[in-house]
Amino acid sequence: MSDFFSIKNLRASIEGNQILKGINLEVKPGEVHAIMGPNGSGKSTLSSVLAGREDYEVEADEVTFLGKDLLELAPEERAREGLFLAFQYPVEIPGVSNINFLKAAINAKRKHAGLDDITAKDFMAMVKEKQAMVELKSNLANRSVNEGFSGGEKKRNEIFQMAMLEPKLGILDETDSGLDIDALKIVSNGVNKLRGADRSFIVITHYQRLLDYIVPDFVHVLFEGRIVKSGGKELALELEEKGYDWIKEEVAIHN
Amino acid sequence: MNQKEIFVAQFDSIPAQFPIQGEARAAIHNGIDFPTTRDEKWKYTRVNSILESSFQSVESTLENVDSFKLDATWSYLVFVNGKFNQTISDDMPDGVSMTSLAACNGDVKKEMLSKLGSLIDFKKEAFPSLNTGYFEDGAFIKVRKNTKIEQNICILSITDGQGQAVNARNLIHVESGAEVKFVHQFEGLDNENSFTNSVCEIFVDENAHADYYLIESEGANTKAITNTNISQKRDSNFTIVTITKSGQLVRNNINMAITEPGCESNMMGIYFTDGNQHVDNQTYADHQDHGCNSNELYKGVMADRSTGVFNGKIMVHQAAQQTNAFQSNQNILLSDKATINTKPELEIYADDVKCSHGCTIGQLDEEAMFYLQSRGLGKEAAHRLLVQAFAQDVIDTIKIDSLRQSVEQFIESKFE
Ligand SMILES: Nc1ncnc2c1ncn2[C@@H]1O[C@H](COP(=O)(O)OP(=O)(O)O)[C@@H](O)[C@H]1O
Ligand SMILES: [Mg+2]
Repeated sequence: MSDFFSIKNLRASIEGNQILKGINLEVKPGEVHAIMGPNGSGKSTLSSVLAGREDYEVEADEVTFLGKDLLELAPEERAREGLFLAFQYPVEIPGVSNINFLKAAINAKRKHAGLDDITAKDFMAMVKEKQAMVELKSNLANRSVNEGFSGGEKKRNEIFQMAMLEPKLGILDETDSGLDIDALKIVSNGVNKLRGADRSFIVITHYQRLLDYIVPDFVHVLFEGRIVKSGGKELALELEEKGYDWIKEEVAIHN
Repeated sequence: MNQKEIFVAQFDSIPAQFPIQGEARAAIHNGIDFPTTRDEKWKYTRVNSILESSFQSVESTLENVDSFKLDATWSYLVFVNGKFNQTISDDMPDGVSMTSLAACNGDVKKEMLSKLGSLIDFKKEAFPSLNTGYFEDGAFIKVRKNTKIEQNICILSITDGQGQAVNARNLIHVESGAEVKFVHQFEGLDNENSFTNSVCEIFVDENAHADYYLIESEGANTKAITNTNISQKRDSNFTIVTITKSGQLVRNNINMAITEPGCESNMMGIYFTDGNQHVDNQTYADHQDHGCNSNELYKGVMADRSTGVFNGKIMVHQAAQQTNAFQSNQNILLSDKATINTKPELEIYADDVKCSHGCTIGQLDEEAMFYLQSRGLGKEAAHRLLVQAFAQDVIDTIKIDSLRQSVEQFIESKFE
């Protein structure tokens, strides 16, 4: 058993519909896991449940993150422990400055770790560096959160925030969807720079294309709320070639 | 005696100083009734709790009011329980003259009396009538023609002691071409169950610029009715910002008479309520002549079982062509049990005008809340950011930096 991140038999329902039907997943420090699956298979539900969205009824035999029972923690506590979700559809928040909010988030995390507030100087230096990393225009960092951002800018802002918050586990929910190749490269490059021995990622995607740039250690296929197949990075290529129908047929045979 | 008579009789020992007070007393004794919820304008605000109060008269011994000062650099006119306290008040800056109403004499008195009561219907409306009949003191402030007053002036009205009733009365005359900013701040000291009934008449002459910030901070268990009546002349610019910080029952009436062409008028407001507070804002933008702009934005955030009322009326008379009048009231309810009654009204008799009004009632955006929390912000901090963002455009209309900061701090303190 890994104390880093382990999910056993995770189930989630909303309004009486069971969406996640018993997910098992184990992530070790430094690993990158890709979760692929057709639309509606429960990918965003999984990431929302892990980040702590309250709309679901959640049950599990175990969800452990760094030795703690993740499901017992409020969303903000999960974040302070080092979980980060890059949203599939980042919300626009008019009037709330991207930078001020990020500073508050960093300080909340530092406080949790028993550290003093970040100095203005260190903060600005960090903003400058991470902004450059995802090629986010500096005026965007100073604007209201995601307000009036293009789709690609919103996704880059998510990675920028992730870089600023330095999580231990980053969950990327279809960060690639809707990006052109150039933007995809920038975003992937940003993620790759953050990879390290004690930082793991769960990269959720619908398309194999992203995995050419962010090369995963493991690939899992999520279908109708279950992980129906797991393998190495070659599984992604197989999926690309044969399509999701292949999985659907396999699942039908097994049932 | 009926309830009204018993209530009014509590004031009868106050000596009348001016003929107008006799007229007002006669009006209230012989005719005017206090409003009930059957009156359209008072449909959602019951004043029974005021009329049932028995008041007491306490001599204040307050000698230091520094703790109430939002910014010690302003010039303060201190009124305690409705009476001017010269010892703890400041001198007025050059260009501003101030005489307390009770001390007016000779020509100043003549001038004061020619204006007092001219902007308010004290023979028809009960609370203005009560105020006019029984006020004991107040400020008569004049800002000299073509002078720009850099020094901010604060009328600090303090109620000291429980169960006090104060009829606060003020008269402001901004002469042509002058420029000035006023803060009118209501505070309380150990003043549970007190009642403030305020009337302020403001004359803004040709091409003058005046800002007036009404800060209501009397504390819980207090009741306040304020009437602010303004008359604007040609090309003048007037802004009123009402910040309601506290009070069990608060009713603000603003009457803006825009009497000549070329005026700019702004009415802004923020009300943050919780517990079982009730805050009611009534505004009237009366466009009497052509080519004027009025702009109105009120924002409310209501928690717990608190209730809010907003009723804003824009009247555009036939002569008021080329009027631009905008009004908006936006509300956030933080609890299922909080309520807001909002009613924008538009009455237009001119054909070449641009007017709009609207209101919104909503909750804090849950998606935004989750987003902020998922980045590590606690619930309170996330609330605070979203509420600040919501109120920011009203806050930005406050032109005095220290006052703006104090309002921001007030919002912050609500979410600690
Ligand atoms: N708020 C909701 N209420 C009801 N059903 C939902 C809700 N959110 C998602 N679903 C359903 O859950 C299933 C999985 O959705 P989702 O997790 O968004 O899939 P994916 O991200 O893989 O496309 C879909 O059938 C969707 O219709
Ligand atoms: Mg999805």
